[in-house]
Amino acid sequence: MDRVVNDFTINIATANGTGSQSANLILLQTLFDMGIPVSGKNLFPSNISGLPTWYIVRLSDLGYQAPGDRTHIQVLVNPATWDEDLASLEPGTVVIWNTDSKMEMNREDIISYPVPMTKIARGLNPKLARMIANVVYVGVIAELIGMDQKVLEEAISKQFGGKAKAIELNSEAARLGRSYCAENFTKTDPYTVEARERKEGGFFVEGNEAVALGSIFGGVQMLSWYPITPSSSLAEGIIAWLPELRTHEGKATYAVIQAEDELAAAGMVIGAGWAGARGITATSGPGISLMQEFIGLAYFAEVPSVFWDVNRVGPSTGLPTRTQQGDLAMLYEGSHGDTQHIVFIPGTVEECFEFGWRVFDASERYQTPVFGFSDLDLGMNRWASHGFEYPDKPMDRGKVVLTKEQLDSIENYGRYRDVDGDGIPYRTLPGSGLDPILYRGTGHDEDGAYSEKPDVYYKLMQRLKRKIDGARDKLPAPVMREEEEQDIGIVFYGSMENTIEEIDDILETATGKKVSTCRVRALPLHSEVQAFIERHNTVIILEINRDAQMNGIMRKEYPNHLLHKMHSVAYSDGMPPRARLYAERIMDVLKEVGQ
Amino acid sequence: MSEKPVRAIKLNVINEPKDSYTGGKSSLCPGCGHDQISSVIVNSAWENGLEPHRIAKMSGIGCSSKTPAYYLGQSHGFNTVHGRMPSVTTGANVVNKDLTYLGVSGDGDSASIGIGQLIHAIRRNVNMVYIIENNGVYGLTKGQYSATADVGSKKKKGATNETQPIDLCAMAINLGCSFVARSFSGSKKQLTAIIKAAMSHKGFALIDVISPCVTFNNNDESLRSYGYVKDNQAELHSVGYIPHFSPLEQVEVPAGSFRDITLHDGSTMRLETISEDHDISDAVAALGALHQADADKKHVMGLLYFDGEKPALEDELELHDTPITEMGEELLRPSQAKLDDVIAALRG
Repeated sequence: MDRVVNDFTINIATANGTGSQSANLILLQTLFDMGIPVSGKNLFPSNISGLPTWYIVRLSDLGYQAPGDRTHIQVLVNPATWDEDLASLEPGTVVIWNTDSKMEMNREDIISYPVPMTKIARGLNPKLARMIANVVYVGVIAELIGMDQKVLEEAISKQFGGKAKAIELNSEAARLGRSYCAENFTKTDPYTVEARERKEGGFFVEGNEAVALGSIFGGVQMLSWYPITPSSSLAEGIIAWLPELRTHEGKATYAVIQAEDELAAAGMVIGAGWAGARGITATSGPGISLMQEFIGLAYFAEVPSVFWDVNRVGPSTGLPTRTQQGDLAMLYEGSHGDTQHIVFIPGTVEECFEFGWRVFDASERYQTPVFGFSDLDLGMNRWASHGFEYPDKPMDRGKVVLTKEQLDSIENYGRYRDVDGDGIPYRTLPGSGLDPILYRGTGHDEDGAYSEKPDVYYKLMQRLKRKIDGARDKLPAPVMREEEEQDIGIVFYGSMENTIEEIDDILETATGKKVSTCRVRALPLHSEVQAFIERHNTVIILEINRDAQMNGIMRKEYPNHLLHKMHSVAYSDGMPPRARLYAERIMDVLKEVGQ
Repeated sequence: MSEKPVRAIKLNVINEPKDSYTGGKSSLCPGCGHDQISSVIVNSAWENGLEPHRIAKMSGIGCSSKTPAYYLGQSHGFNTVHGRMPSVTTGANVVNKDLTYLGVSGDGDSASIGIGQLIHAIRRNVNMVYIIENNGVYGLTKGQYSATADVGSKKKKGATNETQPIDLCAMAINLGCSFVARSFSGSKKQLTAIIKAAMSHKGFALIDVISPCVTFNNNDESLRSYGYVKDNQAELHSVGYIPHFSPLEQVEVPAGSFRDITLHDGSTMRLETISEDHDISDAVAALGALHQADADKKHVMGLLYFDGEKPALEDELELHDTPITEMGEELLRPSQAKLDDVIAALRG
């Protein structure tokens, strides 16, 4: 049998609240530390304990990070999903199963490795048997595919952060799993690992923590938040790192408030922005829905404010622990009336950090609400990284007038007057005594006084449009990988970055065509995106939702001569994107349009 | 011909004329109780010698929430969205704790759409004055009942209200609000003393001011009409305020028994007991007085409850003395070395 090296997918079916997450992260870390390109996806329920959870580990020398097309090694621990999981496996799949689950193994076309995981664990520590059993399967996998024991033990040590007892217990559990496997099985499957040269300095980090750190290096001054999956760890990341990074003379240089709801969280962010500080909140779609009224206020009264949306599956409560790009349209045109908002869309953890600080600069520069748009896949899964780049420019506090001299030097100053011709007015801060005005969500003239006059309203709305449009080419430019042919182009965004390479390869293998890609990183759209479309014959707009929301935004803004070559592939089932699924849909569209 | 004598303009302790505290022309109905409250706000701020530009005037939506345009023209303000002024004020307060936050709201804004935010601002003890201009109706949408309308109250047109009202003072006392008072827009002296004291208090000061709506709720059947309130108010005590900068000038020592309460900035609130000894630190007594007045179809006025010891939100957060808004990049952006430390920690 040919060996399959570093190119397979392990699926681990457990119940949540049983400690399996630690075991899975140890597995992931060990493979990573062996230099093998690996990714982990946690498919967890909206529940604390007892419901089915799957963890998918993809090993890929090609660097593919999406979940693969199929499972090659299945670990079965959870009786609740046993039959369904087992039935879904292709013939020849390896199944490592817990014989203490009292479930039947009724497949004969698979490669079976039965292990009394609970019994082994109980022998080690009866009280903690349920949790340790998870590390037993890690040991079995390690032995089976040839993982390095020393690296494994280092990963265990890392996972338990120096807690000697836990490290010893779990290391022993892994060793017992290993030796059970060695003593009882002859390897009949092809899956194996080989260590690769390891690039030094790599680590795993979740997108949410990267945003959190970026925010702190962006000088966040006030965080107000209301807990919601999958964004809570973003706020909690900020809270965890602030004391170490932002204490001065023993006191806080920031304020954190857990709000009573998302409305209040938004209100506090706007209050902080009005007072002249960098306020932030983190939420998900349901929270953004609740914040709509405030978002309109911040847009119309021109108050800097930062909102991170870690997208989960909507509508309504939806699938709270699954991923989607379904909030994009809501962010771009959030709140009633005519609005348009700046949206930063990171696709990697490095960009999560970078956009974490950049959003504040944009929000204060343009005096408007700015959104960071992440999703559960990027935000809550661990991604390999080699570091974050320190901000390459000082904080941009925008057009804030701080002194009387400054104010006097501005000819014909008015809070909402476009003095510079870029649509961005100057502002003064409460407490400064300079140009005191009453901010309001009602119609106002260039001096901030209440007005319902038709020409005043019309001009104000035109200026706001000009202001946000003016941001287009100042926002992160798209990342383009362009083929010489310039025939087929794919426009995509966000966490799809982690699947696009595999999609690209599948397309090239299947059609022989080389495909260019363009990853949009911000709204409103950068002029380079339009130029990319101009240069290509057929363009697919690829996204993880039902309604082709990015496609809709483009169709609304782009000239007619481009529309005929723009085609949508939008698909969402809650799962992190699987490459083949999207590639096939793209090929269907290409066939339809004669490509 | 003799020249007209030049009248000296009266200045306050920081040498500001009262004009420095006035605002634009009111667009409310002539005779509206809210306008009286606005003028009391102007007087209170002036007499307290607050720097006008160090006040932040906050409001939600409604007739009452329009009033910040009519006072303190030299102060920044924010007329926010309906019922959400508390959260905006909270966000501003924690980043710039050195301003005096003066919130004005109405009974629709506070007892209905915004009751959640009001409750949580009280719970956090946000350092602000929160004035409710309470008339029992939605004025701006032409006279619908609000959640503070009394059972049996009757509008000029339409049905009698049968729904139980919310007593915002009782609610605030139950929530542990650190300063709870009730007054009447027509009781200028009392209201001035209470608002001045509230401005000197550190913590959440709720002042429920009965402010009759001359257009939609001033008929005799209404418990919030001018005539009714004037005839049926029971004062707990008369309230005097002695600012920290001139303890003797402002208030004459009243006859009978009185108590002095020291406020955060060193000012004194002097309570002269009218009937019985009301202990303002006794929440049960305060609630008893409210319920008794309710049973008697009267409005009980004065400072109902006070707790000068409760830490304000800004204290709980252990903020640096320098307001966060005044911190520069050197305090706000950690160094490259710190980022290196973070990355090292992530590498484990």
